[in-house]
Order: sequence, then structure tokens, then C-alpha cells
Amino acid sequence: MPIGLLVDSLATSVLVGSLYALMAVGLTLTMAVVKLPNFAHAELISTGAYAALIVSLALSGSPLLVMAAAFVVAALVALLTHWTVFRPLSRRKSSTYVLILASFAAGLIIRYLLFLLADTLDLFDKRIQVAQEVWLQAGPLTLTNIFFWVAPTSILLVVALSLLLNFTQLGRQMRALADNSTLAAVVGVPTTRVVNLTWLLVGGTAGVGGALWGMYTFVDPMLGWLAILSVFAAAVLGGLTSFSGAILGAYIVAFAENTLMQFLNYSFGLDFSFKPAIPFIIIILMLMIRPQGLTGLFDGLRRDAQMER
Amino acid sequence: MNIDLVASSISLLTFFGISAIIALSLNIEYGVAGIPNFGQALFVSLGAYTAGVTYTRLMPLLAGRTPLEPCASGNMAAALALRGEILKSMPLVALGNFALTLLLAAVIGGVVGLLASYPALRLKEEWFLGLVLLVGAETVRIIVRGWPPIICAHNGLSGISPPFGWLPTAQIRSLAFAGLVLAIAALCYWYSERLVRSPYGRLLKALRENGSVAAGLGKDMARVRGQVMVIGSAMAALAGVLFVTNLGFASANDYGVALTLDIWVMIVLGGLGNMRGALLGALIVTLLDRFTSVAAIQFNMLGIDIEFNYVRYILFGLILLLMLRFRPQGLWPEPRRTTAANRVLAEQAGAAGAAASQPGPAE
Amino acid sequence: MLEIVDLEKSFGGLQAVAGASLTVEQGQVVGLIGPNGSGKSTLLSLAAGQHKPDGGRILLRGQEIQGLPPQRIFRLGLARSYQDPSLFFRMSVLDNALLAAQDQRGEQPLQAPRHKRWWPQEAQLARRAARVLDDLKLLPRSDAAASDLSGGQMKLLELGRTVMGEPALMLLDEPTAGVAPALAYAIFEEIERLRRQQGLTFLIVEHRLEILFDFVDWLYVMHMGQVIAQGKPAQIAADPLVREVYFGE
Repeated sequence: MPIGLLVDSLATSVLVGSLYALMAVGLTLTMAVVKLPNFAHAELISTGAYAALIVSLALSGSPLLVMAAAFVVAALVALLTHWTVFRPLSRRKSSTYVLILASFAAGLIIRYLLFLLADTLDLFDKRIQVAQEVWLQAGPLTLTNIFFWVAPTSILLVVALSLLLNFTQLGRQMRALADNSTLAAVVGVPTTRVVNLTWLLVGGTAGVGGALWGMYTFVDPMLGWLAILSVFAAAVLGGLTSFSGAILGAYIVAFAENTLMQFLNYSFGLDFSFKPAIPFIIIILMLMIRPQGLTGLFDGLRRDAQMER
Repeated sequence: MNIDLVASSISLLTFFGISAIIALSLNIEYGVAGIPNFGQALFVSLGAYTAGVTYTRLMPLLAGRTPLEPCASGNMAAALALRGEILKSMPLVALGNFALTLLLAAVIGGVVGLLASYPALRLKEEWFLGLVLLVGAETVRIIVRGWPPIICAHNGLSGISPPFGWLPTAQIRSLAFAGLVLAIAALCYWYSERLVRSPYGRLLKALRENGSVAAGLGKDMARVRGQVMVIGSAMAALAGVLFVTNLGFASANDYGVALTLDIWVMIVLGGLGNMRGALLGALIVTLLDRFTSVAAIQFNMLGIDIEFNYVRYILFGLILLLMLRFRPQGLWPEPRRTTAANRVLAEQAGAAGAAASQPGPAE
Repeated sequence: MLEIVDLEKSFGGLQAVAGASLTVEQGQVVGLIGPNGSGKSTLLSLAAGQHKPDGGRILLRGQEIQGLPPQRIFRLGLARSYQDPSLFFRMSVLDNALLAAQDQRGEQPLQAPRHKRWWPQEAQLARRAARVLDDLKLLPRSDAAASDLSGGQMKLLELGRTVMGEPALMLLDEPTAGVAPALAYAIFEEIERLRRQQGLTFLIVEHRLEILFDFVDWLYVMHMGQVIAQGKPAQIAADPLVREVYFGE
């Protein structure tokens, strides 16, 4: 494979991996704290992208303002789905299948509301308007300002979320809920408040993820849906509830989808139309062979001990 | 207008019959046996792909003609014309090919269903199976969409029509096909209903509630799970053959997550575990579909330009959410009894009661 | 009837059963006691095939059964019950009982639609289930959903359901857990009756020692995954070692 192609695909891997990481930490948080494999996470991403797009068209193209809008709107939509859909169902002790199905349904509704919105305002395939400039040109590597907005912002947000989870009271309470929700309630964790805040954080980060994605490529109501299974693949690689695992997984998935795909295309002529199958195959193999994820390699013992109870 | 009404009722019945079979198949798998098949579109698609292969390879052979490579741009039109000609002029070949297609689709569906039941043995959490089936279905769709031999990759394959091209008028043709579809649907309904109201149905319900306890009572639940996936998947693949021939066109993109969700709407709406509920759900979804497309035309004529396809999905999402929240058992809930064994007890009690209450001749 | 030799099982780093051995003779009611976490439930799970042992042997009527899948072990005559009632709660009481019957013709997907093939057997099983339920005073509730039963009735139904499978040996995990004291005694009377009338053998894990001691022929005491004492109830009650681990004396 020519060096230019390799460097280019590696840059894309880093970029897309950072975005996947930002989306996957939210999904992982939902699974850990609320015990919900939320397929509507896809539409939180799309919602953020549209909020960002509308603000960028109507008000200003300032990246910070655009991302703030995406965060707020998607966070509110996430909280709304929690209140109207998921909380009532979990109170009735619905099975995980029912919750998954409900998340599909909620996602479907949001997605096609976005379609209606896009249809009315003519907002299909639009890019979030941030002027593009080349910031770095080093040999075969060309990086634009978009790259320097998208990748570091994603990484910064992921780091901020990790710090919050590990070093604040809210983070400790979230982890307590993730470990054992009954026990957490007994020892005085304000469950309702913590869950609400979790949803706001999850929605907000997903929304910013969507906004950044929209700067990198373009905004479409299917944006989140087309990314969500890659994001699930990242979470599965991380064992579904591990934060660091999901981040690592995100870069692995992005690397496989870009650099590995590029290599397979160049060396074996594999058509790019097979690219979406890559995360799917990762999900199937991981769930069947190593459901505890990659980081499970280190805390496998602890897990088994818990299983026994 | 009159003719239109007849034609549209016929097409409505055909759609209903096909939806009913698909809904029954998922209702056996999830409604009764609790297997979360979020990839049912895959098993429907297997029928469509089987038809794609038999219509282009098997049918010409049966007709004594040389099969033409269907996707090569040079003879695409000729291959299509050949299919049309055989369907129009050779009734026995058309019907025989169709029967073989149905049979083959059921076998392929069954085998893939059996394979799909194996991950369940290895998966750590129950919902992983749902994710694996969802993702597995999408993987197959992407492979078929990118790999020409089955249905010409992303171009799709046309001329996969019902085997009644030799009948004189369009109306008679569609009537014959509707009859065939409804007959197959009736057969599937009969089998499903009998199945769930037998000791086997009891076993399926036990799998739904707690498979490991049932295994502790001497039941081979891995085997049961395999069997039920074979039954459901074979049925879905049968429906797939009917589905694709009704459309006349095979395209991998028709068998995505959207189709799977439609099937889930049917059974959640109608009644999980109740076969009549599945029929009801299929009927309502068919009518809603027709209603939204008619409404779309009406509104567009009035100059109101709303994309009704979007409205349809929002409506279906709302139906799912409202049902799951307020009536999870569905419009027509599952009966609690499986077999009529309780009648034996009632008769016994009745006989004992009668013996006790009737004064004997000596008294 | 049942012979367990040097059984071992650990989960991760935790050794739940560490070389336990015990024997249950035909027709006996044997108790298995010990503090929480001493490995009693794990031992039952191992014997019933729900976990695979790491080492040791389990013999049922002289045949090695360790590592067999649970359905095979049940069909060889060993049944277990669970600490939490594990009924099929959405099914009727009668269906719960019928499900456990073995070799049902209607349990084959190709036979199932042919009502005539399996109905005679089903009717016969229903009559047998009626007798079993009647003995347990559950007959009037036969058409109710299992979830509508009281805690004690659930335990009784679980017992009756197992009886329908015609086992020779029953391993019961706390048959009176969560049951009112009066009914708890009744459950043990049922166990005694089944032993007397049908010659069933029992191995019972139970915390209500005051009831258990009235009904068992022999007792094993487990502690830290091992059997530390055995004997008749009176001997065990007087054993200083047992009193130490059990009552902390």
C-alpha cells in the first residue's frame, strides 16, 4: 500500500476513532448506570448534529457555540426519552428485550421527526459551516483545521468525562449505581438525580459527537443510525461497561474500518461496499469469544468472583 | 373505480397474507419461546435470495433452456425476457419452479435458523443474542448487496414474478396469487396454533420463562431452541419467496432493520404469544400502510406536501412505545392454558361432584 | 443411591467446594447443613449438573454423572429444587406440573400438531397431576397462574412438579425458605409422606434446624467447602466442632 494512502487512512482512523470514542463512552455509561443498550443513542447523535447545523446556519459558525447548542439540545432530548420512555418501562420491571425494542421505537420517532424537519427546511446533506483551511502539510500528510477541531475536542471531552467519573462525587455515585443500584439507594445515593444527570451527560456528549461528525462530513437524519453499530462494536470491544475499554475499542474499530479496509481494498481488491460489515463482524466475534471485552484480560478474576454470587 | 377497488382489495389480501406468515414466525420465536430475534428480516430475505437464484438458474433448466448470466450488462435484458417468456408460456415449469423455490427456501431458512440458535449456547447475557441476530442480518444484507451472483448485488434483480404469468388477465393472475398466499398463510396459522396449544407449546413457554429450570426438569432446551428457530426461520423464508414475487423485484435493501421492526410492531400490537393476535397485528399494519399511502396521495392532491413515509415510521414508533408501556400483552392477549388438560380435571371434579351430590338409591 | 467423592469446584479464586464427600442411601432423608457460604448450594448444583465440577466424582446408583448436562441427570433420576421458587410463573399450576413429566409424545414439533397422537397420554398425565396436586392441597388452584400462589404453595408446587418427573432422588435447596412456620412443618410432612409412599430419597439443605432435625435420618455439616461432621441429629446437635462453626460458640 502506498505510503500516502496509509498515512491518510491513519489520520482518518484517528479522527473517526476519536469521534467513536466520544459516542461510545456515552453508550457505555448508559449500559453501566441505567442498564440499557440504547439504540436511540444513534438519534441523540443525529439530534446534536442538526442542532449544530441549524445554529451554524442561523446564528454563527463559531465552533464553540455550535457545540454548546448540540450539547444542550441532545442532552434535553436524552432526558426526555428517559422520562417518557425508559423510566416508566424500567419501573414496570420490563425485560431488557422490551427496553431494547423501546429504544428502537424512540430512535425511529426521533429519526423521522428529523427527516420531517430536514424536509421542511431543506437540510439534507448539509455541512456544518466552519471554514476549511489547511493547517498542517507534512509530506503525504495533510490536516485541516477540521481535524484539529474534531479530534482534540473529542479526546478532551472523553478525558473530562473520565475525570468526572473518577474524581467527583457525582462520578462516585454513578459508579455506585453501576455496581449495585439497590445498594446505592440504601447507602443514600440520590438515585433519581444521578440518573437524570447521567442522561444529560450521555445526551450531551452524543450531541457534540454528532456536531463534530457534521463538521467532518455532512449532516443527515441517518447520520447517527449509520454510526451506531460501529459505536456498539467499540463498546463491545470494551466489554460494554468499561470506559477505557470503549475508548480503546473505538480506535480499533476506526482503524479496522479505515486503514485495514484500505489495505484489504488495495491488496485483495475487496470492495468498499463491504466496509459496514467490519463492525458487525467485530460484534459477533467478540460477543461469542470474549464477551468480557479486551480490558477483561486484566480484571477477569474479579468478574468471576462476582459471578459466583 | 369498481375495478380499482377489486384490484386493491386483492393486493391488500396478498399483503396481509404475507405479513401474517412473517408475524406468525416471529410470534412463535419471541412471543411464545422468548427468543429475541432482532434479525428476522434476514430469514425473510433468504426466501427472496432463493427465488433470485432459482428464477435465473433453475427455471430455464426446467424449461429446457440455457440459463443466461443474469447480471452481465450484455444479456441482462435477454435474461429478463427469458424469465417473462417462461412464466407466460409454460405453466407447469412456472409452477414447478415455484414449488421447488418454496421448498428450497424453507430448507435454507431452517438450516440458517439452526445455525443462528447456536450463539445462544455461548452468549453470556440473554440480550446479546438479540444484538448478534440484528448484526448478523445486517452483515448478510451487506454481503448480498456487494456480491453479484445472488441478486446482482446493489442493482437488484427484476422479473421475479408470481408463477401465474400464463393466466389470461392481470386480475385473474393477481387473484390466483392472492389465493395461493392465503392458502399458505392458513396452513402456517393452522400449524402454529396447533403447535403452541400442545405439550410442545408448553415447552416453548418454559423456554421463554426460564430455560435452565426446564433443563433441570429433564428437557433438552438447546434442542428446543434449535427446533423453534428452524420452524420460525423456515416459515419466514417461505414468506420471503411470496414477498419478493409479489414485489417482482429482489433488492437486498428491502430486508433491513426497518422490515424487522415492522414485524415486531405486528406482534407487539396484536398480542405476544397469541397466534390470532399475530394475524390481527398483521392486518392492522397492512391497513395502516395502505391508509398512509392513500392519505399521502390525497394530501398531495390538496397541495399539502408532507412525506408520508416519514409519518408512517413516526406512527409505527409511537404504536410500539404506547403498546409496550400501556398494554404489553397486546390487543389480543395470549391464553394462559396451553392444552385442554384442565378439562380432564374439570370432568373429574364434575363427576365427583355429581356423585357426591346425587343421593344414592338406598337413601 | 448417591455418592459424592472429593468434589471440588472454585469460581475464580474462590474455592466453593473443597473436596467434599458424602453418601445418601436409598430411602433415606439426609440433611445438609452449614453456615452461609459453606458450599451447600454449589454442591447441589454440581450434583444436578448445573455447574461442572473441577475434580472429584459423583455417582448416582453407581453410575458416574459428574459433568453430564442437567437434563441427562434428571432423566437418570436425580431432581433438584431451588432456594427461590423457580416456577414457570405465567403458566397455570397444572401446566407447571405437567411440564415435568418425561417422554411426552406431544413434545415433538412434528407430533404436536396431531392432537390425536398425544391427547390420550396428556389426559392420563392430567389425571396423575390431579392426584399429585390433590395430595398437596393445590387441586382447587390448578387453573390459576403459578404467580398467584402464596409462597408456601409455590414451594409445594415445586415439590409436586418434581414428583411428576418421577425421580428417585430429590435434592431440595431450603424447601421452607420464606414459608410461614405452620406451613413449613407441613412441607416436611409431605416429604416424609413421599418417602414412605413412593420410596423417594432426599438430600435436603435447610436452615430451619428445629424442623429438619425431626425428619432426617442422617446429617452432614459443611464448612468452608468441606464436610466437617456427620451423624444422627442428636450426635450433631451435641458435636462441639459443629456448635463452634455453626453457632460461633
